[in-house]
Parts: sequence; structure tokens; C-alpha cells
Amino acid sequence: MLRKISLWAMSALIAFGSLNFELQESPGDKLLGVWEPSNGRARVKIDRIGNKYYGRIVWLIEPNDPETGLAKTDKNNPDASLKNVPLKGYRMLKDFVYNEDGTWSEGTIYDPLSGSTYNCVIKMKDKNTLDIRGYIGVQALGRTDVWKRLSVQPAKK
Amino acid sequence: MMRGPLLLAALAIAISPVWGQSDTTLPDEDFSMYDNLSFADAGAKRYCSPKIEGLSPAKLISLGYDYQGGYALSAGQMFAADGTTELASAQDAQVNTTYGMRAGFNIPVISKTHLVWQMGANYWNTNYAYADAPTASSNPLHQTLSEHGIRTAGVNTTVFKPLDSKQFLLFQGSADLSGTYGIGLMPADYLKYSAALIYGRRPTEKKQWGVGLARTYRVGEINYIPVVLYNSTDALNKWGAEVLFPARAHVRRTINPRNMLFAGYELEGQSYRLWRNPTGFDDFDLRDQELEIRRGEARLRMVYEFSLKDFIWLSVQAGYRVNYRYDVDRLVGGTEIYRAFGILRDDPYAQTNGLGNPFYFNVSLNVVSP
Repeated sequence: MLRKISLWAMSALIAFGSLNFELQESPGDKLLGVWEPSNGRARVKIDRIGNKYYGRIVWLIEPNDPETGLAKTDKNNPDASLKNVPLKGYRMLKDFVYNEDGTWSEGTIYDPLSGSTYNCVIKMKDKNTLDIRGYIGVQALGRTDVWKRLSVQPAKK
Repeated sequence: MMRGPLLLAALAIAISPVWGQSDTTLPDEDFSMYDNLSFADAGAKRYCSPKIEGLSPAKLISLGYDYQGGYALSAGQMFAADGTTELASAQDAQVNTTYGMRAGFNIPVISKTHLVWQMGANYWNTNYAYADAPTASSNPLHQTLSEHGIRTAGVNTTVFKPLDSKQFLLFQGSADLSGTYGIGLMPADYLKYSAALIYGRRPTEKKQWGVGLARTYRVGEINYIPVVLYNSTDALNKWGAEVLFPARAHVRRTINPRNMLFAGYELEGQSYRLWRNPTGFDDFDLRDQELEIRRGEARLRMVYEFSLKDFIWLSVQAGYRVNYRYDVDRLVGGTEIYRAFGILRDDPYAQTNGLGNPFYFNVSLNVVSP
């Protein structure tokens, strides 16, 4: 009986520990929200999962493929098994870890237009502006894009 | 007995980060809540970006080799500064190959939404392999090219300044040292400056155009000319145009974003100072500090660019090199001669030369920009 109770308690701890891990606030959570890249062609929602940050495409200015008329998929992905994955919902920012210097690093950014994945570091210029630098190996070989935070409140018409 | 703990453990796994790392989304997820959002910062502005969708990738690092097949090089009479005293008589010669390396390096210095600034450097080396090696009695142009070849080293900068979401200014500038000398003998006095300023518009994500003015040596000698920028990609991302007229114009066929085929032309040219090397070869009359080879040529070509792996691209081009000018000017006191295609001045060249038009190819390995 004691053994049974211990198993329940341990499982409960694992389960609620995970939940707690998800919900606990982190200084890096200021990154959470919906952001728009400078070209305005997409919107990306950044979430935290565990202690890492991920960004999914949640909006596209041109949601359908002009060739097929169907919802755009990741057709430029070099991995053939991912070519039919819908772009809406696609995780283009992955594995970012918040650092004490106020940056998010160790992550990657995926460009659906070219099918390329780059190293990436994120800096917050102010609470509504991000510098997203995609680079190849070293940061000098890269390009910075400025993303703006979007309000979750619907725009006034 | 174990069903309860197993269910809880399964729940823990279900909400753990493992699920979240998938590339896909949940089926039937409702994205409509993201349709109608505004900037959190009410003062935020949208700016147009320097690129359009479907444009070939910019090259950060490029290392290439250029090769021209055989052609006849007819060196004309060489005249002294008085324009009448003949220094050397005309002589035809056969060049078997013209070859050399081409290296380029570009680094984004500032890459912001409201300003993009890039700096670069380049080095081109061109060697001339004659069928019969010129001797001391040969026309000095043949002697000089055979012995020293020509080379260009320079720095360049590009500034893209968006004015708003549709309009932009583009500035390109370069300073080049071109001549017969080696790296250790490049006098800064002979720097050649080129620049272009363009006002452009970007009406859609797949089209940009602009008009401007350029100071250029692309046809060999200094000129001030109007320029037209036009880049576009069709709705299906299959065809496009990449034009900076008159410097270059290409039709692009996009097989996929990692494989592109181009057909078109590029004008190449520079003015090469014939530096007198004090340590030797003073016998060559043509190696005179007042003389410059005005080289201008068109390259009609097909280009195939593709990704070897990730950001490493190979570019292969082949076509005809069509000579426009390969004449020698005498710049007395270093003063430029601005002829404006003969409209403003009609100074005779110190030597007028003719080149055949050979087949050429160029291959380069490139690291492309994100």
C-alpha cells in the first residue's frame, strides 16, 4: 500500500512539476508575443516551452500558393518529408535560450522562401522592437532584421 | 494497479517540451485571431526592404576563376604626347588564353529596417598568355601584358535607405586601383572612383525599380550616365528579371530557390594605369605613368547558380566576351579626359587597339547572405 502511494506521489510530482515548469515566469518571457518581420509578409508568435523559446508563423499576407490555390506549404524545405507541412503554424524560430545579458541565443531561424536554416541571436531594442540576426557560423556573416511587436488587441477600423 | 500512475506520467509527457518541438501545428488550429492586429508601438513605421522575393542571393564571399579562349590582339601605333611622333609600330599577336582569379568580400555593417550599409573589397587579376612570347622589339602593349598582366583591387560600399514602405534611395560607391603593378606598387594617387545614386520604388514584394545617375568606368573611361534599376519576379516565382541598366541585365529562371539560371549580359571595364616599375623592365615604353589602358567589354552569357550545400553556392557562367574598347590614353599630369562618347571632347588615343571576341567561362564558389 505504501509503495502504491509512493508511486502516485512520484507521478503526481512529475506531472505537476512539468506543469509548473511551463507556467513559471522567466525574465526571458518579455520575448513572448506576436511579432512582425520588417517585410510585413508574416506574423510570428513566440512561446516558451520549458526553458526555450520558439516562434510559429501564425499569419501570412499571402496564405495560399498562387500555383495551386491551396494553403502554402513548406515546399522549399530541402527535407522532402516536410514539403507538405503547412506554413501556417510552422515553427521557424527554434531553441532560443535566454541569457543574462538580455539576449536570446543558441537558436535557429528558418527562411521558408529559401528553405535555409541559419544560426540566430535575438536582441530586444525596446519592449516592442527586436533585432533578429541570422548568420552563418559567425555573426559577422549575417543580416539583421527588425521585428515589431503586434498588439493582441484588434486594430481599430 | 499501475494504471493511475501511468496515466499521470502520460499526461506529464503530453504537456512536456517534447511535443512542442515538432515543426507542425495542431490540425484545425484557428489562426483568425491574428488577422487583424496593429503595432503595439503606435509610432512604428513599415519600411521597404532592399530585396524582393525571388531575387538571387547576395554574395558575402566569392572566390572565382575567369578564363578566356584564344583571340587576336592587334596593337596599334603608339604615339608620344605630341600626338604625331611614333613610339612603336602596329603589331598583331595571338593570345592563347587570358585568365585570372577574382575574389570579393562583402560584410553588412549596419542592417536595420531603416538603413542597410554594406562594405566590401575585391581583387581581380588578369594574365595574358601569348602564343609567341613578345620580345624587346615587340609592340610595348604586348610586352607589358605578357610580362605583367593587369589587376584591380578596390573597396566598395552600398547604402540602402528606405524612405517608407514603397520608396528608397540606393547609393553604391567604389574606389579601385587598377594597373599593371603588383600589390606592393599601388600608388593611391591613381585611385578611380565610381558611384551611383538611385531613387527607387518597390510597389510590391516582387518588384522594385529605380532611376539614377552613375559615374562609371565600365566602358573603360570615365562617364556620367543615367542608370535604371529593375528587379522583378513573376507570380509563380518561376521567372524574373535582374537589371541595372546599362551595367547588366539578366532574365532569371528559378528552378527552385536553390537553383537559378540566368541569361543576359554584363559590361565590364576599368582604366588601368601603366606604372613604371623602377626596379626593372624600364625598356618597355608603354609602362609610362601617364598612360592608361581603357578596357571596356560586354559579356554575353548564361549563368547557372546553385547551392552546393546550405549557404555555399557555385556559380558557373559561360558566353562571349565582346570587346568594346582596349585603347591607351595619355593622361597628361594625371588629368582625366571626359569625352562623353565624343560629344564634349574628341582627343585622340595614344594607341588604338583591336581584340577578337573569344568564348569565356567563369566559375566561382560563394558564401551567400541570409
